[in-house]
Amino acid sequence: MNTEAIKRMRNIGISAHIDSGKTTLTERILFYCKKIHAIHEVHGKDGVGATMDSMDLERERGITITSAATNVTWLNNPINIIDTPGHVDFTIEVERALRVLDGAILVLSAVEGVQSQSITVDRQLKRYKVPRLAFINKADRTGANPYKVRDQLVEKLNLNAVLMQIPIGLEDRFQGVVDLTTMKAIYFDGESGEELRVEEVPSDLAAEAAKKRETMLDAVSMFSDELAEAFLEGKVTDELVYAAVRKGTIARELCPVFIGSAYKNKGVQPLLDAVVRFLPNPTEVTNVALDLDKNEAEVTLVADPSLPTVALAFKLEDGQYGQLTYIRVYQGSLKKGDELYNTRSKRRFKVGRLVRMHADNMEDISESECGDIVALFGIECASGDTFCSPQLNYSMTSMFVPNPVISLAITPKDKKSSDNMSKALNRFTKEDPTFRSFVDPESNETIIQGMGELHLDVYIERMKREYRAEVETGKPQVAYREAISQKAEFDYVHKKQTGGAGQYGRVAGFVEPIEGNEYEFVNSIKGGAIPTEYISSCDKGFRKAIEKGTLIGFPVVGVRVTINDGASHPVDSSDMAFQFAAIGAFRQVYPRAKPQILEPIMKVVVEGPTEYQGNVFASINQRRGIILATTEDGNFSRVEAEVPLSEMFGYSTALRSMTQGKAEFSMEFLKYGRVPTSISEELVRTFQDSNQKVVVR
Amino acid sequence: MVKAELVKRSPLRILEKSINGGVGKGNIAVLASRKGVGKTACLVHIATDKLLRGGRVIHVSFAARVDHIVSWYDDIFKEISKWKNLDAAVEIHDEIIKNRVIMNFNQAGIQTEQVLRSLGAMITDGQFPADMVIFDGFDLSVSGRSDLAAVKSFAKSVDLEVWFSASLKGPDPLFDDQWIPRELSAYADIIDVLISLQFEGDHVRLQLAKDHDKLNPGNLHLKLDPKTLLIAEDKP
Repeated sequence: MNTEAIKRMRNIGISAHIDSGKTTLTERILFYCKKIHAIHEVHGKDGVGATMDSMDLERERGITITSAATNVTWLNNPINIIDTPGHVDFTIEVERALRVLDGAILVLSAVEGVQSQSITVDRQLKRYKVPRLAFINKADRTGANPYKVRDQLVEKLNLNAVLMQIPIGLEDRFQGVVDLTTMKAIYFDGESGEELRVEEVPSDLAAEAAKKRETMLDAVSMFSDELAEAFLEGKVTDELVYAAVRKGTIARELCPVFIGSAYKNKGVQPLLDAVVRFLPNPTEVTNVALDLDKNEAEVTLVADPSLPTVALAFKLEDGQYGQLTYIRVYQGSLKKGDELYNTRSKRRFKVGRLVRMHADNMEDISESECGDIVALFGIECASGDTFCSPQLNYSMTSMFVPNPVISLAITPKDKKSSDNMSKALNRFTKEDPTFRSFVDPESNETIIQGMGELHLDVYIERMKREYRAEVETGKPQVAYREAISQKAEFDYVHKKQTGGAGQYGRVAGFVEPIEGNEYEFVNSIKGGAIPTEYISSCDKGFRKAIEKGTLIGFPVVGVRVTINDGASHPVDSSDMAFQFAAIGAFRQVYPRAKPQILEPIMKVVVEGPTEYQGNVFASINQRRGIILATTEDGNFSRVEAEVPLSEMFGYSTALRSMTQGKAEFSMEFLKYGRVPTSISEELVRTFQDSNQKVVVR
Repeated sequence: MVKAELVKRSPLRILEKSINGGVGKGNIAVLASRKGVGKTACLVHIATDKLLRGGRVIHVSFAARVDHIVSWYDDIFKEISKWKNLDAAVEIHDEIIKNRVIMNFNQAGIQTEQVLRSLGAMITDGQFPADMVIFDGFDLSVSGRSDLAAVKSFAKSVDLEVWFSASLKGPDPLFDDQWIPRELSAYADIIDVLISLQFEGDHVRLQLAKDHDKLNPGNLHLKLDPKTLLIAEDKP
């Protein structure tokens, strides 16, 4: 295990929009890397269906790459292909996959070109600063136009896309490619295109190739003075070109473009060569962790096997043999028997069985390289956990887990669905700390909670497809809060002294609003007006009371209760009596403290072509939103706004239709804000009418 | 001190008095100086004053990111509320945020026409009837007269006042004898109010070069306090 080995490693993802042929490409890559014996024979790992975001084609043909990471080897280079979810939601799962990649192949169809989903996928890659290559697939189809697609990469995605090849023929006459660096033609012979034949450039393409080579060298020499000089002097070598392209690609200032047809077995091997030549190895990527002992101060990790270990558990999979935890080792290394520390659960554990995933089998290994992706068996953990050597306390992600802002009641359609639903919920909640589920004690319904409408929709869909659990859903419910807005005094007696054991407790004091979402209890009782043993009873009572405010039945936040007087009875006072006194006091004082309803306000970011900007502005305005800032970058605009969550339902559909599917939005909880009076009044009315939890229309 | 009082006592009232009651809707004001003297600070103070008076401001910038602009506003608001111990500062801050939008154009060589189009979309579709637009970092030397004229005509059509910051790059002397920056002399007739910032050792003086139709190098008796970055009275 040495740094030379790490430099040969590549961790990549294949990002694509739905019709680009990602599955076929992945399959061919596995075939040429000798990981599968024949094409069309890749099977799912554990029989569980593909995730919701995988291509329909995948399911139809029964081919699934369900491993979160598959290891292949191309020319002595170990490559981990990480499954990148394609759905357009900025969920934690997407974030984790992108964090674990060092580079990506962006796949496009030579016919359809840059689609709205490719725009989304590219934006995600940009957000996580992932260097990429582009592969223009389906050059064999009618209407294929790789040149046009390259132009779209420049215009629509703002990429410095440079063709490294030109096609030899197109559509049904597509035969191979001309490599503009070596200036040779490459053909793909054999039953499955596995034999490469290199020849001279066909004479009818010579002029075109020369011209395109000039363009390529012009663009690429920006990254190497040596190459620029050699270009002027006519002394360009392949090595100089490769070095410059690599530099530009890793710096994310260049996107080399390749052409082929995975289905027709053409162009995949040169693409693999490009992955090795131009995408970074783990030592060339900056990875940052947070030091939990230093208030989450940032620490840069070094891909050095001799340093203490830091690894991220990015995906959990339930298999036939138990839970598989996929990890990426960022620093240090991992051996069977090593002791690791889970910085979230704060528990130590020993590394038991260590495996590497291939397309068709699992390989037991005794140690993992630094920079590699492997899997552990039977470890109790959650997705997103960080494992370190015991002397470190780092986390790859902030430990802050936001509170869910929306909940939904779900009811399984039948007994089978009910069992499957429980299994599904179990798995999902383990993988995603922002997704929660519980049974409401009052209604006996299963409630799921998450960070947005789409977040929950994705899980309901996955429950159906992966676990065959069909559920009916209620109306989504916003997590309102109640808060008092002014100080008010209380003086309350709880008395039940009619025959038999009585109850007596008097508690007096005041409530006042405080910043934030906390509850504070202050004991200012003097002279034992309330006996010491019942002070905590008062606290308990107040805590109970604030669980459900009387405006709309939601928790009361930001309140400080001070008790400064009271009375007790030598016989009838008790823990329960003072709890009831406190509850009664709170209920009594509450209306006088001018309570208000608070709603979750989301930070909403909408990104899309500038031409639809006006529509987006209007849509935010219509939803009681406030636009904070806009950034226009070429043909794209990004709008940042604050919008109440209750107004965001159905925004996904609305946005899609007003922007022809070309815009995207993301949403995260920002703060609680006061609900306007008119809405507040209606919420109270609805609550009083039904005397249940408020439902959003 | 309550907000109304704070507004009344602001040194910007002095500025307004000196320029005939204010820039006026449909008119253009320019703050000129060399780089780094304090134009952005002044613009943000002027914008904040407008916000405190219930007006709406669009702040147009040509930067890579937006957060440093937000910081400017936060810092200046903090200084203003500290200066006169403003009551309910937090609530007032939340209120005025609602009336401010930052529009950032990150594209090199963006056309003025495009900027005005986007402004129009914000005002109409975004239902944000701005009273003032600030162009911070708009390179006046690169844009032609027609660009400035287009902005002025836009300002007239949507009824708002426009402030520009002009970074002077020329050799000394920067100004002519009327205190008009020489590199802006070609545009002087379109500009309604022109204020130059003069670096004077320990503070920066605001020098009025043009007040609507009057070309008088009047002393505003205003300075930019380097400590608070606020416009303040320059008492002798």
